[in-house]
Amino acid sequence: MSVTIRVFDPAMCCSTGVCGPSVDPELARFAADVDWLEKQGVTVERFNLSQQPAAFAETPAVKEALGRGTEVLPLVLVGDRIAVEGAYPSRETLAALAGVVVKKLDVAPAGSTGCCGPSTGAKSKTSCC
Amino acid sequence: MDFLERAPRNLFFTGKGGVGKTSVACATAIALAERGRRVLLVSTDPASNLDEVLETPLAGEPRAVTGVTGLYALNIDPEAAAHAYREKMVGPYRGVLPDAAVRSIEEQLSGACTVEIAAFDEFSKLLGDARATADFDHVVFDTAPTGHTLRLLELPAAWTGFLETNVGGTSCLGPLAGLKAQQALYDGSRAALIDGTRTALVLVSRADVAALREAERTHGELAALGIERQELVINGLFRAEDLADQVAVAMERRGTDAMATMPAGLRALSRTELPLLPFGLVGVAALRQLFAKTGAATAPLMAAPLEEAAAPAAPPLAALVPALETSGHGVIMTMGKGGVGKTSVAVNVAVELARRGHKVHLTTTDPAAHVEETLGGAVDGIRVSRIDPAAETRAYSEEVLRTAGANLDAAGRALLEEDLRSPCTEEIAVFRAFARIVDDGEHGFVVIDTAPTGHTLLLLDAAESYHREVLRTSGSAPEEVRRLLPRLRDAAFTKILLVTLPEATPVHEAAALQRDLERADIRPFGWVINQSLKPLRVTDPVLVRRRESEARFHVEVAALAPRVAVVPWSAPAKAQPRLDFFATSESPRAEAAP
Repeated sequence: MSVTIRVFDPAMCCSTGVCGPSVDPELARFAADVDWLEKQGVTVERFNLSQQPAAFAETPAVKEALGRGTEVLPLVLVGDRIAVEGAYPSRETLAALAGVVVKKLDVAPAGSTGCCGPSTGAKSKTSCC
Repeated sequence: MDFLERAPRNLFFTGKGGVGKTSVACATAIALAERGRRVLLVSTDPASNLDEVLETPLAGEPRAVTGVTGLYALNIDPEAAAHAYREKMVGPYRGVLPDAAVRSIEEQLSGACTVEIAAFDEFSKLLGDARATADFDHVVFDTAPTGHTLRLLELPAAWTGFLETNVGGTSCLGPLAGLKAQQALYDGSRAALIDGTRTALVLVSRADVAALREAERTHGELAALGIERQELVINGLFRAEDLADQVAVAMERRGTDAMATMPAGLRALSRTELPLLPFGLVGVAALRQLFAKTGAATAPLMAAPLEEAAAPAAPPLAALVPALETSGHGVIMTMGKGGVGKTSVAVNVAVELARRGHKVHLTTTDPAAHVEETLGGAVDGIRVSRIDPAAETRAYSEEVLRTAGANLDAAGRALLEEDLRSPCTEEIAVFRAFARIVDDGEHGFVVIDTAPTGHTLLLLDAAESYHREVLRTSGSAPEEVRRLLPRLRDAAFTKILLVTLPEATPVHEAAALQRDLERADIRPFGWVINQSLKPLRVTDPVLVRRRESEARFHVEVAALAPRVAVVPWSAPAKAQPRLDFFATSESPRAEAAP
């Protein structure tokens, strides 16, 4: 599998968000999903605006999207194309983007993100809708 | 002196706030330089006053100290280090990325995390990289107040372990991008710390029961971290010359009693005793006297003292209480340099409020808390609690795992647990506990005996950046966190007492703290001058000189403070609330001056 998924995060302290004034469960969930996807053999690269600004400046699609404001973050790119904007996709969406077959047992238990998936379009910052 | 003869390359001075770490570190550095060694003196205290003590303007790089050949000094200012680090990260992207993106990077790098990490990075450069200090025979570290010192010293161990086990590579240590590249440097710091041929840890204490107990605790903790080469310095040992002077006799007895109960761990260390001098230890000339084998009362170094008449009146602490209680509830915080007696003042304010019929919650954010000991048992109307960083961190981590980690699979939980082990978690946990206690001021009086200045500043800085962060995100920050800063700014709700001793360093640090608070739109309620000889009658030559030298600081404080109270020196009664604070003229040893 040659597809590479790149995630461009907003400026933050760490990938799970434990360093903020409140831990965003969405971030903890997504960090776990990225970890899972990598274990399926997919290359996932994560860039944090506060730590790796160079990656943002050097990726034309990301730099252009940022011109509309930092609300576009996070961005998920498949190859050079933006696939998801302003939200962390669910494990199923990630798998679909990467072309990985999801076995039922691998999916995080229901209730974690099901009701707040990227389909809501909102940048979900709270636990569950 | 043996202490100087056997000094290894690196010397660390540590001890409870106010024991004179800075003075002893400076005097040691001066004495070593005057023996022909090349010496670098380093302050890692966020509220460093090395400039004032050495009468030399210092910076982040070594500067020659005026009047001492071979002595250089520098300040590691965590704020400045964080600022420099932030600029290094952000600078290249101004004009490259949109302004909003650059701003969001800056905001993220403004927290307490970045400050702590940037300071540690600077500290490691000096300790872990031999080339950075190759020009010097000795590096003398005047370390920060105890709680902070311990964290700073614990970090090499914690972080080395952290980096080894951090398999995900996505840790909170992110603010130091490329941290792993620094691992060799951090390993070097740790190796240097525990190597007795290169490094000695000097515990500085006063002949005071609480200070000695604190030194014993530090001794044990540092020994457990592998720092085996430790020495003890007893600073400010007083011998009464005039036996008719009751204050002098009481002061000497207090010291002798404390020395007699010295804990076993300290007793086993090699010990150096330094005398109480009749003047403040500011300036190279005064500092030279500390290791000089002279009679204590020699060398007229002070400028002529002010006339007694010029000094302002000295109302007792009790006089402040009616104004403190007008709103019927709220937060009263004592702040100031370590060792000025914030705990005593907090306890006595709490006792007086309770005596006047109020419900009082007395608490501390000081990791080296002794509120309960000072209070000496249960008092009607007072509930005592303590913010214990370890317990708060544990509770916070558990809460995060229970909420944010609730629906994660095993791998996801492992990742979250790993990030929670970062040093930043404690800062956040303590901060949230602080916000929770301030919230309690809605329902009654909360008296908070705050941590020493440096840590308090970090806490307030955290309040500021959290305030921004909280307004920006729609995350689930608790209500009390969102209301913290507005509450601290509300003078009817929060009343801050700046506590000081009638000496140069604590007065000037309190003045700096007042300026910092005012920048954050927080105005202190009043100042308390603690352990003053002014209201007492003394005849002992050293005490007479010390009492005279106090006068100018009373004048200085009167010009700075909206309200002032003066608490006379007294030997604390064992395990009793010091109600004598409120009845100064009736104290047997504390006869009021005319």
